[in-house]
Amino acid sequence: MINPIMVASGTFGYAEEFESFVNLNKIGGIITKTVTLESRPGNPPPRIAETSSGMLNSIGLPNVGVEGFIRLKMPFLKKLKTHVFVNVAGKTTEQFSQVVERLDQLETVSGYELNFSCPNVKEGGLSFSSDPNTAERATQLVRKVTQKPIIAKLTPNVTSIGQIGKAVENGGADAVSAVNTFVGLAIDTQTFRPKLATITGGLSGPAIKPIALAKVYELVKSISIPVIGIGGIFSFNDALEYLIVGATAFQIGTANFVNPRVTEQILNDMLLYCENHNINHIEEVIGSIKI
Amino acid sequence: MTKNITNIYRATVVNLENVALDTFKLTLHEPTLSTQAKPGHFVNIKIPDCDGILWRRPFSIHNTEKQQGHFDILFKIVGKGTNNLIGRTAGEKLDIIGPLGNSFTLDENTSEAIIVAGGLGIAPFPLFLKHFERHDIKITIFYGVKTKENICCIKDMAEHVATIFYTTEDGSEGDKGYVTDLMHNYLDRIDLTGRQLFVCGPTPMLKTVRALTISYGIRAQVSVENLMACGFGACMGCAVRLARSAEGEPEYRLACKDGPVFNMDEILFND
Ligand SMILES: Cc1cc2nc3c(=O)[nH]c(=O)nc-3n(C[C@H](O)[C@H](O)[C@H](O)COP(=O)(O)OP(=O)(O)OC[C@H]3O[C@@H](n4cnc5c(N)ncnc54)[C@H](O)[C@@H]3O)c2cc1C
Ligand SMILES: Cc1cc2nc3c(=O)[nH]c(=O)nc-3n(C[C@H](O)[C@H](O)[C@H](O)COP(=O)(O)O)c2cc1C
Ligand code: FES
Repeated sequence: MINPIMVASGTFGYAEEFESFVNLNKIGGIITKTVTLESRPGNPPPRIAETSSGMLNSIGLPNVGVEGFIRLKMPFLKKLKTHVFVNVAGKTTEQFSQVVERLDQLETVSGYELNFSCPNVKEGGLSFSSDPNTAERATQLVRKVTQKPIIAKLTPNVTSIGQIGKAVENGGADAVSAVNTFVGLAIDTQTFRPKLATITGGLSGPAIKPIALAKVYELVKSISIPVIGIGGIFSFNDALEYLIVGATAFQIGTANFVNPRVTEQILNDMLLYCENHNINHIEEVIGSIKI
Repeated sequence: MTKNITNIYRATVVNLENVALDTFKLTLHEPTLSTQAKPGHFVNIKIPDCDGILWRRPFSIHNTEKQQGHFDILFKIVGKGTNNLIGRTAGEKLDIIGPLGNSFTLDENTSEAIIVAGGLGIAPFPLFLKHFERHDIKITIFYGVKTKENICCIKDMAEHVATIFYTTEDGSEGDKGYVTDLMHNYLDRIDLTGRQLFVCGPTPMLKTVRALTISYGIRAQVSVENLMACGFGACMGCAVRLARSAEGEPEYRLACKDGPVFNMDEILFND
């Protein structure tokens, strides 16, 4: 990757949505919205709620399915010169590898992010994320069908994220990304009803940054493959915290909604930071936490 | 439909005017947005220096003054974001994404456009009137508000419109009751050929209008105001359910990208 800046799955569409805002080729890695074997309509509305310095979502992985993705979304992605990682989810361990197998011949796909973590899908989703054995097996199956990089995306909604990290490392993952959203709930006090149709959803945005950072720190200490930091990154300074605790790259999520040009700004601020601090390459700060 | 040249703009505050109870018209200068705006389009405004607020706030483009490069939004104070907006002063810059969404379209054979607006649902229509003003089409407006202090834009609109019927729920001005009752009577009296409805307002009103338009078989377009985290198709949070999927597996469209204007009979409204 040309830089450690990536965009998080489900917050950047299929990149096309951001074409008029940013130079997509300046982003180190683009992660697509989750793709599943069959198409999915997604959850009933309301799917989103704004909370203090954050938001809850329960989108439910709507997508056109892997065939639809290849037909409708790939033509645009093909034009990009940067790395495209397809985020993949499945109801069963086999489905992960089926989707990956279908995509693996496509040159445009640089690698995969396995979504072991979406809190908004009833079937499966969470069991991959919370059960180390299932996560390991799903990773193994995908490893069998691809030589390309595999990133396992982990949920923070577990007792020990380090344990899941170790499991996917054993399963053959090349990196982990963390975190996906935290389970959260918001109530409309006028109607006494939950603000989301699915009652609970996933919390993202600035509100989660310190807890996400702690999870990333825990992972860095537990495993030896690279960790990609995600959670509440809105500025380069936020991203820098992740790099300092040891993340080798980071993903920007919710910030894209508010400022669709945030990736470019973070890149500029990163270059400026390096210049001002006599740093040749941003890699130098990775893991430089002083304790 | 032509694609919008959506972008982030820095618009300059020109004026803020209190036009009705808790209701303000904010005039902004941004020539590209002003010339591109079509009726139904909206903009997504970053609320400046507002602690805890995450999302931008979406507002319909209310009117434009293309020659001067101005456009207006009309908003009501309902919470933190709109409260912040009334503190903006002339010369300040606002960070705005737009123009967003699709727009109202007038069918070829339409001879009368009937507008039905509830409360702030009146917001997109002054631009509509300006845009579709042609001597061969008649425009009739049904406009309902709670009480007379809420009424706004009547004078501006009267220049372009054949007739404005308005109702207040408390009868303080105009007819007493719901605007949908008045509209219902009207539809009963007229020949419906060549009539097309354009609707915006609170969900209960939309539900009533939808039921009426379906029973009368009259064409109707509605502008919806779902909650939006992005406004440009990236979050998939603003889902609207398609009526053809009322039974069985649901099908959704995005209010911000496929809408906010939909054919009324094609979508369902949330409770
Ligand atoms: C496409 C579109 C066009 C819009 N056009 C206009 C317009 O022209 N004029 C105008 O005044 N408003 C318009 N709105 C609604 C406007 O965006 C909200 O009133 C605004 O976001 C409220 O912000 P706030 O921070 O003041 O209120 P908040 O503190 O966010 O909310 C206050 C209360 O209002 C409710 N609320 C907030 N947003 C909405 C919404 N979209 N629909 C229903 N209830 C909501 C909240 O649930 C809460 O109860 C539009 C919305 C959309 C999606
Ligand atoms: C609206 C929304 C949709 C999301 N959809 C997905 C998804 O499809 N797949 C996925 O792996 N993560 C998804 N996520 C999680 C994000 O990729 C990211 O992990 C999370 O939002 C935390 O980062 P942030 O605080 O920067 O947003 C979604 C998040 C949001 C807010
Ligand atoms: S508001 Fe984000 S997709 Fe419509």
